[in-house]
Amino acid sequence: MASRSVFRSLWRASKLHPLPTRAPRCFSNSTRLAESPTQPSNHEKTTHFGFETVPEAEKESRVAGVFSNVAASYDTMNDFMSLGIHRLWKDHFVRSLNPGSSSTVDSPGWKMLDIAGGTGDIAFRLLDHATDINNSPSSTIIISDINPSMLAEGKKRSLATSYANSPRLSFLVANAEDLNTIESNSVDLYTVAFGIRNFTNKEKALREAYRVLKPGGVFACLEFSGVTNSLFDAVYKRWSFSAIPLIGQLVAGDRASYQYLVESIEKFPKQEEFRDMIKDAGFMVPGKGWEDLTGGIAAIHKGIKPVEKP
Amino acid sequence: MAIRTHLPRLRPLSKRIALPILRPYHSYDHPPPPGPFTPTESSILSAAIPHIPSHGFTHTTLSLGTKDAGYIDASTNLFPNGTFSLVHYHLYTQRLALAKHEHILSPALKEREKVPGVGWKVKALTWERLMANREIIHRWQEALAFMAQPSHMPTAISELSSLSDEIWFLSGDTSVDTSWYMKRASLSAIYAATELFMTTDKSPDFIDTREFLNRRFKDVQIVGGTMGNVAQWAGFTAHAGLNVLRSKGVRI
Repeated sequence: MASRSVFRSLWRASKLHPLPTRAPRCFSNSTRLAESPTQPSNHEKTTHFGFETVPEAEKESRVAGVFSNVAASYDTMNDFMSLGIHRLWKDHFVRSLNPGSSSTVDSPGWKMLDIAGGTGDIAFRLLDHATDINNSPSSTIIISDINPSMLAEGKKRSLATSYANSPRLSFLVANAEDLNTIESNSVDLYTVAFGIRNFTNKEKALREAYRVLKPGGVFACLEFSGVTNSLFDAVYKRWSFSAIPLIGQLVAGDRASYQYLVESIEKFPKQEEFRDMIKDAGFMVPGKGWEDLTGGIAAIHKGIKPVEKP
Repeated sequence: MAIRTHLPRLRPLSKRIALPILRPYHSYDHPPPPGPFTPTESSILSAAIPHIPSHGFTHTTLSLGTKDAGYIDASTNLFPNGTFSLVHYHLYTQRLALAKHEHILSPALKEREKVPGVGWKVKALTWERLMANREIIHRWQEALAFMAQPSHMPTAISELSSLSDEIWFLSGDTSVDTSWYMKRASLSAIYAATELFMTTDKSPDFIDTREFLNRRFKDVQIVGGTMGNVAQWAGFTAHAGLNVLRSKGVRI
């Protein structure tokens, strides 16, 4: 009898104060972040910063903060978090793009633009593929990043490659939503790997990509996405929300940045949704529009800028 | 109750299933589905096809196709299957082109001439389809190698079965019994074998291929006829045996 009344009062209490819709996860401080005091006022435009809602004006500086913190330990961390698989993804991404390929011998080479390419991971791979596989020593690349400290890391690493101080490689600090130093219709290949989810306004960045690409040029994006198998998804979520911030704390001494990382992955649009965003920007998509990697943990999205028929 | 709770979950699932690009039947009432290629893909691939005799089923051919269609080298990314798209496009367009052979489908008959039968039309259409490979036959082994790759085999096999179905349909076959399957299976086998033979045929105007094809059709007729006779004999014997037993008073 007594137990029943206790139960009933508890039940009533739960009705009066509904439980927060998202239960807190072990080892994660997402609830703390979600309840943080920076709630924007109603009339400001807002966007996501992980699970937080922040004013658009603020996201850029906060993302900058995250990447300034992780720049030096970026690759070590990637290796720890993805168990080295991110290297396979990047290799496959570059191979599938086949940069520098040409049907003629005296080809002017591809003009490539690697957005959010700070550490040069993708850029060096693209140049290697163009040079070694497709024999295209005239292909060039611009590495662009909004964050000067990530770009400095890339410059440092470029010294160890054969492209150091060559005209094939240049660096540009720019916001991907406004690439005013790059001419319209001038780029063959626009790549963005694990970057677009940090953009404040993804639609605007896609429109800007459309502007700079030549007709027929390719927009290619490698990004975390939605795991398709629900059982694997449960395991993966457990890993990303519990282990990754912990590894971040142990290896890089920075939990908050990695907490943001996993939350931003969760918030990023899933495969179909992002494919439709690419289509809305005016691109044609090949096949179904994306390719899942490792069960959908990451996905490669591509878009081709159509040629206007005269 | 259980059903009611499950039904709303099922509905969005069924919505997600995309319309098939290939229809497994022919319809007189509905226009054909748009096919596996978008207009842009078709324009690039059709521009690439003329380059096959000199460059084969290669990335270079695809690249040249993009250039001729007004695109750039990078646009080859439009084809996730890469070079296999060339093979698939050839199979698809040549299958559809069969319907244009009016002189076979509805031949102009002179007086007292017999209307050609289904069998004659099947043979003629199969030959026309083989002749559509004439220009690229020296490169066709590359295409066969692509089709044999495990990731491309489902598309290749479904194109082969669509081809034999198309030929039987255009020839006016209306069978609705088990022979429907036998006809398509045997034609698929004949076509695949003859196509392979043709890749090594050096005779003028492919006379050897023509004879090979005729022998295969004859084989099928003999085998089919023998099978039919054996089946008839077995049926008759079983029936007779049953009746003998009945006449002896066995209640069956």
